[in-house]
Amino acid sequence: MIDMIVSQIANGLVLGFVYVLIAVGLSITFGLLGVINFAHGAFFALGAYFAWQLFHWFGWAAVIFAPPLVGLVGMAVEATIVRRLYGKEPLLSLIVTFALALLIEAIIRFTWGADGKPFNAPAIFSGIVEFGPLLITKYRVAVLGATIATLLGLWAFLAWTPYGRILRAGSRDPEMVELLGINLPRVLTAAFGLGCALAATAGVLAAPLWAVSPSMSANAVMPAFVVVAIGGLGSFRGAVVAGLAVGVVISLTIQFKPEAAAASMYVLMFAIMLLRPRGLFGERWERFE
Amino acid sequence: MIGIQRDKRSFLRLVTGAATMATIGWASAVAAEETGPIRIGLIYSKQGPGAAIGEFLQRGSALAVEQAGGKVLGRPIELVWLDEPNPQVSQQNMQRLIDENKVVAVVGGNYSSSALAMMSVANREKIPLILTGAAAREITGKECSRYTFRTQATVPVQIAGLMPYVAELGKKIYFITPSYAFGQDILRSARGMLPAIGGTEAGVDEVPVNTADYSSYILKIRQAKPDAVIGGLVGGDFSNFLKQWNEMGMKGKIPYAAVAVTDTDFWDVGPQASTGIFIKPWYYNNPNNTPAEKKMTADFVAKYGAPPSDKAWSGWIGMRALLESIEAAKSTKSADIVTALETWKNTEGSFPFYFRSWDHQMVRPAVIVQVKRTITDKWDFFDFLKNTSDTAADTEKAFGTKDEIGCSMPAL
Repeated sequence: MIDMIVSQIANGLVLGFVYVLIAVGLSITFGLLGVINFAHGAFFALGAYFAWQLFHWFGWAAVIFAPPLVGLVGMAVEATIVRRLYGKEPLLSLIVTFALALLIEAIIRFTWGADGKPFNAPAIFSGIVEFGPLLITKYRVAVLGATIATLLGLWAFLAWTPYGRILRAGSRDPEMVELLGINLPRVLTAAFGLGCALAATAGVLAAPLWAVSPSMSANAVMPAFVVVAIGGLGSFRGAVVAGLAVGVVISLTIQFKPEAAAASMYVLMFAIMLLRPRGLFGERWERFE
Repeated sequence: MIGIQRDKRSFLRLVTGAATMATIGWASAVAAEETGPIRIGLIYSKQGPGAAIGEFLQRGSALAVEQAGGKVLGRPIELVWLDEPNPQVSQQNMQRLIDENKVVAVVGGNYSSSALAMMSVANREKIPLILTGAAAREITGKECSRYTFRTQATVPVQIAGLMPYVAELGKKIYFITPSYAFGQDILRSARGMLPAIGGTEAGVDEVPVNTADYSSYILKIRQAKPDAVIGGLVGGDFSNFLKQWNEMGMKGKIPYAAVAVTDTDFWDVGPQASTGIFIKPWYYNNPNNTPAEKKMTADFVAKYGAPPSDKAWSGWIGMRALLESIEAAKSTKSADIVTALETWKNTEGSFPFYFRSWDHQMVRPAVIVQVKRTITDKWDFFDFLKNTSDTAADTEKAFGTKDEIGCSMPAL
């Protein structure tokens, strides 16, 4: 039994990294823009579909362009719709982005059809790796590597580059950033595009694991919200810790009480919210007070 | 005095005029009811993991209308399609179809949980409902209704067809089923039949609907080392499972068998991930298909550029049965349609199939298929093995006796 528990925890951590990648884009969008983006899952699905299409047109190498392309779509959406939500009631952003999610899903269905698209991992990543009781597929190892690399790159970008500093400063004190002569609207457009590109990266990586279908966004958006709520709205560190915790809790629930697996992450969220309503790493943000 | 008389005359003229207008309005409404379009409701998924299934069901139903020349009783048919996202909304949509769209009957209900919710409305409003996908036994069992008919073979019938094949694979059986009425019925039926094949239970997982990642379930199955897995996952959930079953190297190692699958589950994941033995209502490339079914396949391919899935067939046969019954009844009154459906019979195959009058279950064998070793065609994934029964008597017997089914059919 110990072997099985160890195996499930390891599997949960890998699954957790997928959740982290889905959630971190959502967290960034909220943290930097103050917008609760319910369409995040739709951008995740769009990433998977762009990857499928690019693969069919140009082969595997082209798949890497799916996230930046979705990022561009996100920037266009920000410039036309999301921009109008800044500083408004959070409920308004929820309603508008929910409508946006439905619209994107309808566009996906209209463009690619209601049926799913077969999409498997590249042959180089087929097969499994076993270490004692642990079993992990080569593709999941690759997902783990890609996720960690993306998260480290994102952290370095936000922490060490001038653009990252402007983004962070803009999220805390937009007036001051504008007074310094920085074109804040353009910065916010880029930030929303970054969040969408991260959702799309998760979609690309999940495409060989989950069925690529218009409804795949539903599988992504709820765990992402739970992870962000547990980790603390806008907290990068919180999204990582919460994502891994959610992955492990789901895996262990499947081991001992499988019919409760879907509810387990909500129970975890409920418990954390009771103890710490701002989430594990949630901070006081003046502009949201 | 003269003024009062004039007022009386004006009032009488007004009343007469209003009465005439009302009579004309009523007469034209009656005329429209008798000559206007006949509305039929469809409740199939438009979104979520069942969207592809819903699309095929709708296409099948629409094709049946088209093949009927778009008319029944000489009047045009108008289809109104609403969504089947969950039991609550499906039930509300059923009510909307009746109250707002004034449909004469409804075809739909792919999920047992939604179907059971829709049945209560059909029963209360006395509107015929033909269920085209739901398989849980209670629909035509203890919850049976005079206004509900069902095309899909019940879970016990499908499991009984599957078990002899499972017995050939081994004795230790693992179950992975969805955690709602349909999945619970699979468990109940298969557990009841395990002793007959000398089987034992290696493990059971009841999986919540809309599960994306099955890796932890697959680890459990791998650890339990069963001889075979019996499943009942549906739609996108099943596609996710198949994909990850293959990804985790289980394809070809532990055989997988399931009931009530549909072609789109496999088309969605492609040949690489497809594996197993399955029970389906129908298969487009079955050499035993009737001429009408072959024509439906040809018409479907011509219209949509792809063959019909078994769901398209279910939507098609449900609508056909309804239209033929309305024609036979020469009426759109609910009681007349129900009576006609109870005597409706299709005689195009080697033996007839029909809705059994005492439980409203379509008595027709399902097909047993196996994923081909090598799939070369984009759509043709299966080898047809056999029907779940081969004679009219065996089919009737497979669907159970009155005592076994437990339906007390209420009066009209």
